[in-house]
Amino acid sequence: MASVTPAMSPMRTRALGGLRSVANNAVSIVVFLAAWQVAAMLVNSPFFPAPHRIVNAFIRLARDGDTMGNSLWQHCWASLYRVLVGFAAGVVLGVPMGLLMGLMPRFYASTRSVLEPFRFIPPIAWIPLAIIFFSGLTRFAFLIFIGSFFPVFTSTLVGVARVEPIHRKVALVYGASKRYVLTHIVLPTVLPDILGGMRVGLGAAWLTIVAAELSGGTSVGLGRMMVNYAELLAIPEIVVGMILIGALGFAMNEVLLVAERRLFRWRWQVTL
Amino acid sequence: MDAGTAARGGDAKVRVDISHRYGNLLVYEKLDLGVRENEFVCICGPSGCGKTTLLDLFAGIMKPSSGHVLIDGVPADPKRQNISFVFQEASILPWLNVRDNVATGLRIKKRPAAEVARKVEETIALVGLQGFEGYYAHQLSGGMKQRVAIARAFATDADLILMDEPFVSLDQPTREKMQREVLDIWARRRRTVVFVTHNLEEAVFLGDRVVILSGKPTRIVADLEVKLPRPRDPVSEEFTRLRARCAAMLHAVHAEPRE
Ligand SMILES: Nc1ncnc2c1ncn2[C@@H]1O[C@H](COP(=O)(O)OP(=O)(O)OP(=O)(O)O)[C@@H](O)[C@H]1O
Ligand SMILES: [Mg+2]
Repeated sequence: MASVTPAMSPMRTRALGGLRSVANNAVSIVVFLAAWQVAAMLVNSPFFPAPHRIVNAFIRLARDGDTMGNSLWQHCWASLYRVLVGFAAGVVLGVPMGLLMGLMPRFYASTRSVLEPFRFIPPIAWIPLAIIFFSGLTRFAFLIFIGSFFPVFTSTLVGVARVEPIHRKVALVYGASKRYVLTHIVLPTVLPDILGGMRVGLGAAWLTIVAAELSGGTSVGLGRMMVNYAELLAIPEIVVGMILIGALGFAMNEVLLVAERRLFRWRWQVTL
Repeated sequence: MDAGTAARGGDAKVRVDISHRYGNLLVYEKLDLGVRENEFVCICGPSGCGKTTLLDLFAGIMKPSSGHVLIDGVPADPKRQNISFVFQEASILPWLNVRDNVATGLRIKKRPAAEVARKVEETIALVGLQGFEGYYAHQLSGGMKQRVAIARAFATDADLILMDEPFVSLDQPTREKMQREVLDIWARRRRTVVFVTHNLEEAVFLGDRVVILSGKPTRIVADLEVKLPRPRDPVSEEFTRLRARCAAMLHAVHAEPRE
């Protein structure tokens, strides 16, 4: 491939930049932990645990499980599974709905007074109804679906408006069908917005899962675990739960970011 | 005989007889224009008079407010007719690299992969973009992007080639090369070409006919047949006289009072 040589150098620069960014982040983590340690020493109170106490609590939880005999992994997996199911439902419905409404602006314009107000009802406000109508996985999946649907739907809808008329003309002039225009012109244009909406939706999903688990109806899940330890005033265990939620959300977000960078090389490089 | 009248007969490849408006803006009121099979027609006219609109109508990607556009006697429909179009605006698809951009038309027409590969390689070489096959739009210069669009239009072997100021962003030698290529494709493969340009020298150099349009509501001011033998010599006396005549008519159009 003749094009490899000139295209290589920006890629290599990017790899180096990635390495440097990993190193910088490692330094940031160390600085954060040091600041925490110093603050804990200054405050010197059992209600402000130093980092090593969190680590110890983590090891205890990971090795022995919690007071009810549920392992840390059960808690993580329960929350993660609920998030994945609800989030998947949000994406599976949000993307086609966004495309449909985006491509039929008149339909959207005449239904938005019904649709849009739902966006302003926070997922947490659905918890009472969810408690009545659903139980188990469906309850959590439903709440997460509510939380992740609108970010995905709205950004897809907005993305459709970004399709350039000239790109549509290019396809049409060579005899493209509507279906081709949808899959080869609209989708590639909207995909970055969809991924962006998914990242926002994922944030909303994690926000919702913890609140939903706090409201009861389950014995596992990171939110549940934290409430259990709150009743025992066991602060380090609560913080372990917080950190795990942050880390899991961060990891999923990174997966989406990597996908974005892979998929949108044509776009990513522009923003550099 | 007036060239327009000649094309009004049954031998017209493309026949437009339309009125067109965008909302309240009347662009064409009863425009009647024919292009014969294997004819090279250049269209000139003031900015905003509707040249791009006319090509969109020719291509069947826009419907006129009234009247009809016939290609080979049937309504223009890019699904049935083999049309290609070099757009005035940048039209390269930013999520595809150069190779896939050039292949777009062929892929839509579901040509076999081997033919697509061959045609793409051929036309990329024709526009001098070898070595840039893997590049994306944002890595190309303006003129390179335009050459991608030209390659895409040439790759499909269309019967009707529509070009909307295709060479404005190219340097002089590249522009001349592209002009020769268009003439070559037109002559060798017997294609019909409609070519919009603001450059009268280009119009007289390329066209069998030069059609000059007025300001809105747009009508045909002149429809001149260029009888000079090819290759044409832009400094010959006849050439310069014809060009000056076109220039004078365009100036007259600009001097017209506007509604
Ligand atoms: N989609 C549209 N909606 C409304 N008005 C339009 C639209 N497209 C073009 N017009 C108007 O129609 C007229 C003709 O436009 P067109 O693009 O065909 O001009 P043109 O002859 O190609 O001009 P130029 O030489 O500057 O490219 C212009 O006045 C323009 O404002
Ligand atoms: Mg134009």
